[in-house]
Amino acid sequence: MPQEQVNRKASEHTQAVNDEQVRLNVEAEASMDVLDSILDDISTVLETNAQEYVDSFVQKGGQ
Amino acid sequence: MPQLHDSTSRAQGEPNAHEHGFDRIFGLETEYGVSVTGADHAVQAANAAVAMFRPIVEHTRSTNTYLANGSRLYLDVGAHPEYATAEARMPSDALLADAAGERIMRSMALNAQEQLRDAVGSAARIHLFKNNADSAGHSFGCHENYLVRRFVGLTDITDQLLPLLISRQIITGAGRFADGRFSITQRALFVDETVSSATTRSRPMVNTRDEPHANPEEFRRLHVIIGDSNRSQWATRMKLAITHLVLCVIEYHARHQESSALSLMALADPVDANHAVDEHGVQAQLQLASGDHVSALQMQRRYWQACATFLDAHAHAVDASLGQPGAALQILDEWRVVLDELERDDIASLATRVDWAAKLHLFSQLVARRLGCDVDQARALLRQPGALPPALALQLAQLDFDYHDIANGAVFDALVRHGRMIEEVSAQQADEARHTPPAGTRAVLRGRFVQLAAEAHVRHACDWTTLELLEPHKTTVSLLDPFEDQPDAQLSAIFDQLEARIALHETR
Repeated sequence: MPQEQVNRKASEHTQAVNDEQVRLNVEAEASMDVLDSILDDISTVLETNAQEYVDSFVQKGGQ
Repeated sequence: MPQLHDSTSRAQGEPNAHEHGFDRIFGLETEYGVSVTGADHAVQAANAAVAMFRPIVEHTRSTNTYLANGSRLYLDVGAHPEYATAEARMPSDALLADAAGERIMRSMALNAQEQLRDAVGSAARIHLFKNNADSAGHSFGCHENYLVRRFVGLTDITDQLLPLLISRQIITGAGRFADGRFSITQRALFVDETVSSATTRSRPMVNTRDEPHANPEEFRRLHVIIGDSNRSQWATRMKLAITHLVLCVIEYHARHQESSALSLMALADPVDANHAVDEHGVQAQLQLASGDHVSALQMQRRYWQACATFLDAHAHAVDASLGQPGAALQILDEWRVVLDELERDDIASLATRVDWAAKLHLFSQLVARRLGCDVDQARALLRQPGALPPALALQLAQLDFDYHDIANGAVFDALVRHGRMIEEVSAQQADEARHTPPAGTRAVLRGRFVQLAAEAHVRHACDWTTLELLEPHKTTVSLLDPFEDQPDAQLSAIFDQLEARIALHETR
């Protein structure tokens, strides 16, 4: 294969890898943004006394 | 297209049309857990549960009542509020009925919370858990009911169905973070037997009850005890749908007295296999009766393949049981997609439909953030007993419960709100279903009876197969066929009487 074609293929490949990495980074950032929103929404739970919450849930078993 | 109702031919002594098809009745019974936090002084779960049922007891003088949507609401052993859906013809109808039950329970809890706050302070909260374990090692269930043809024997159930119920937990498991460790099921470690007819002293995976609530010559009722309580609506629906497909395969081969590929699925020790799934998840190694080992995922693939082969020839017949063309292949496709995601370990995708994956996804992101490690490392720590700092482990245990709190929980709703968990039934649809029974079953008759009798202020009683007017004199109606949604002459006359009574009150 002529050198030009090899170079073009190599740079296309690099571009594809870069695009994928950007996509993953964007997804990861979006995921972190969503995580932050979720953590905000559940902040009242995270602020309560976990020991008291857990210990208070005791029942006799059912079936 | 086979007929769905065939009471005429039955009256002439011919076998019920339902015996020849794959029509099924589905039901879900859920025991809820209760706790109270934030009160001035400790409040027992039992007191909160009793408070929830006070309006019902005042109205009906019982902690056991049937509702206008045909379902049953009662206060069970150990102070568990319990909701049993009315009979449904399709998994999606059962899901809607179950979602209605959540809304009903939630209202009862929040109303009781208002009353409670008068007594123990305005910070008091009633938590209502749709899960299967409290913090002290007590367990309670979400039971599935399937109407199954009588000719399916107990050996068929043990050999061909149990391995499905055990391996499907990689899809239907609700997950649990407790005792410093994450596992994919809630219930597995609490189940100690395989198939049994007892319900109070042991906890089998499947209970074979003799009261089918239908013609005992045609049907038996399969009562599955091993299932987890799901918050994911997709999982609730698919739990029933996948089991239905496999039951169709089992019934077909039993009916034609042919051996089924599913007999090869028989496990050497189902209780061990169940523990393995809890401990090792998707890749748990399960030993077959033949001595070979397969992973839980491979076992699911085999069941999938058996159903796919079966549907090549019988898709139309199974579609008829689901009331919709293409329904069977749709379920098969959703099943394949989730198995592919499990194979790729694509937790982020699984998290939108699979409860244990939703928890794992959130918990591992939280742990990664707190400990400054990456998500994969966090996942490994979650699976290792005692690997997390105690304070963090305790907080995860709390979040694990909160995920199941349908009254005051924040986690699950946050996931739905931010598009990380699929919702199949909106709150509005679920609220409508509080008053509307599923179509095509005797629930229609029971619901209408309860509605009219209540409106007419006539004392009445129900169970799954009987309607009773208690005044002016006791009148009993039998509803033996769960597929019958049309009133007979006796019941029609009763409906007319009740409607007349209501009209009379209105003109006064």
